[in-house]
Amino acid sequence: MSGGRPLTVLRDINLEIEARSAVAIVGPSGSGKTTLLALLAGLDLPTAGSVTLDGQLLNDLTEDERATLRAEKVGFVFQSFQLIPTLTALENVLVPIELQARAAKHDGSEPERRARELLARVGLADREHHYPAQLSGGEQQRVGLARAFANRPKILMADEPTGNLDADTGGTVIDLMVRLNQEEGTTLLLVTHDTQLASKAHRIVRLSGGAVVEDRRVSAP
Amino acid sequence: MAPGPWWRIGWRNLGRNRRRTLITAAGLAFGYLAVVLLVGWMEGLTAEMIESGTSTLSGQLQVHDLDYRPERKIYDTIGGRDGADVDRLLGEVAADPAIEAAAARVFGGGLVSSGEATTAGVLVGIDPARERRVSNLLRALTAGQPPEPGTNEILIGSEMARQLDVDIGDEIILVVPAADGSMGNDLYTVSGIFRSGLAELDASYAMMPIESLQTLVVLDPNRIHEIAASTVDPWLAPEAADRIRARLEPLGLGIEVEPWTRLRPEMLDYAQLAQAWNWVIIVIVFGIAIFGVLNTMLMATYERRREFAVMLALGTSPLAVARTVLAEALSLGVLSLVAGAIITFPVMIWFHNSPPDLSFLYGDYTFFGALIRPRLRVEYSLEMWLLTGIALLLTAIIASLYPAIRSARVPPADTLSGL
Ligand SMILES: Nc1ncnc2c1ncn2[C@@H]1O[C@H](COP(=O)(O)OP(=O)(O)OP(=O)(O)O)[C@@H](O)[C@H]1O
Ligand SMILES: [Mg+2]
Repeated sequence: MSGGRPLTVLRDINLEIEARSAVAIVGPSGSGKTTLLALLAGLDLPTAGSVTLDGQLLNDLTEDERATLRAEKVGFVFQSFQLIPTLTALENVLVPIELQARAAKHDGSEPERRARELLARVGLADREHHYPAQLSGGEQQRVGLARAFANRPKILMADEPTGNLDADTGGTVIDLMVRLNQEEGTTLLLVTHDTQLASKAHRIVRLSGGAVVEDRRVSAP
Repeated sequence: MAPGPWWRIGWRNLGRNRRRTLITAAGLAFGYLAVVLLVGWMEGLTAEMIESGTSTLSGQLQVHDLDYRPERKIYDTIGGRDGADVDRLLGEVAADPAIEAAAARVFGGGLVSSGEATTAGVLVGIDPARERRVSNLLRALTAGQPPEPGTNEILIGSEMARQLDVDIGDEIILVVPAADGSMGNDLYTVSGIFRSGLAELDASYAMMPIESLQTLVVLDPNRIHEIAASTVDPWLAPEAADRIRARLEPLGLGIEVEPWTRLRPEMLDYAQLAQAWNWVIIVIVFGIAIFGVLNTMLMATYERRREFAVMLALGTSPLAVARTVLAEALSLGVLSLVAGAIITFPVMIWFHNSPPDLSFLYGDYTFFGALIRPRLRVEYSLEMWLLTGIALLLTAIIASLYPAIRSARVPPADTLSGL
């Protein structure tokens, strides 16, 4: 945070996202895409207005309750991967499963099997014990994908997941993400600059100056 | 609680910046060494004072007639005018498990003279064979030997010998008020000279065979003033006194059994003061260490604030993030404690078994009427090792509270900013 004056980043946003649909949020830099995503995931709270996630009004929840909700229902794919450097690929994928097992107070008997299976599905079965520094950017993001799906989230949030990757690698990652999304029946919320990428979504929401300027359905979910 | 991924992360982070971890752990380990050593030295000094203060002459436990102290009248013998079965009393006292040895004593006070020179003297009648195991005076001879029972031999302090200008084999005259109101006087031969280092003893104390003094002051052989005893551990003396008092109760002699802690309360006060200082040492050393650990933990967590943001975004509660940092600090503490114990153990053993001799710096000195040798004697107790260990772990945790809170407050939305 810098500066003291309140800054209005988003205004008059009224958005409802259907379960199991894939929505792309596009718009110029600084238009508020990331801010919107942070609000939808409960990473931040809006100064005005409300956010409801899977029937749960986020404004009513404490920080801890929002964390628990994220552990149970939200998966994240970050632009800069954000793997934990001191954990191996497998251990990184295990993190959300262990968190969820704790939040739900049941101990997952097969977290390792789930984590291994996901790593295999992103094509990294043989890199389980490698640390992030030993993986390429594309490989790191594939681990990121496996981690995002590890807790069987209801909604997957991805902010410029290919922003740090070259076009080819980015394409592979996107294909994987779309496929996993269909297989797991997850709602996908994707922030991107890439129009080609956006066209794979069912619906495209365009932001500009903090407001929705276009909301277009491309195909049925 | 299931072992979450955070302990793993905390532990591995210590390995990630190994040099910083080692430097911090070394700081804590040396803090541990410093505390254990300083406290050990304080306890060594205290033990030295108590041992020396009690074993020079007084012993760690004494039995008297109830009326004897503080006037020390010559007729106030144990069991009154009828006296007591001295051998039985000695046997009962020595039978206590904490007692090493016991010896009977008779006291008299009078004038000691040789030629023109005269000085006041405290005369102590002793049984040399028993006395040797109770007090150290007979071992502090600079010349000659202890008085032989059945003779008129006398052992005097070095300062008295100087004042009277006498040497081994010279004769001195004693003039002493006796128990029957008469004045006893006789001629004695100096058999030995002792030097305890305590001015009062060396100038005015003289020892002679117990029967010889009893004859001089007209006391029957079954009349003594004191039984002095040594213990296996001075701190056992108070309990031993209670037991012996109970054991002697049936004899109905009207006696007191007092441990050194009551005979010399100022030494007990000092020992307790020294113990309070142990806490001051702990607080000072670890108080300094807190800032070192705080600095390390602030750096270590500041570098990883993005990682904490990821943990929070993925659904870790802020409390769990704080716990991770504390877990890391605790791991650092345990590491330091192990290192500290490893470096401390041999140093303590060495200091305990062969205390560094500081006599090149200063000579013997007296302290609370006790003669202290110029050595860095170190005593250690399991309790102190444990307390210091707990203090070390607490230091690591206290120093990490602020870094932990800061880490838990990293905004999770930062993960999205693409840094
Ligand atoms: N922590 C913050 N403090 C102050 N202003 C912020 C903060 N985060 C974002 N903003 C401002 O809010 C506006 C929207 O930012 P946001 O990151 O949501 O844009 P974006 O659409 O994601 O842009 P980009 O495509 O570059 O990622 C910008 O004007 C930005 O400067
Ligand atoms: Mg953005």
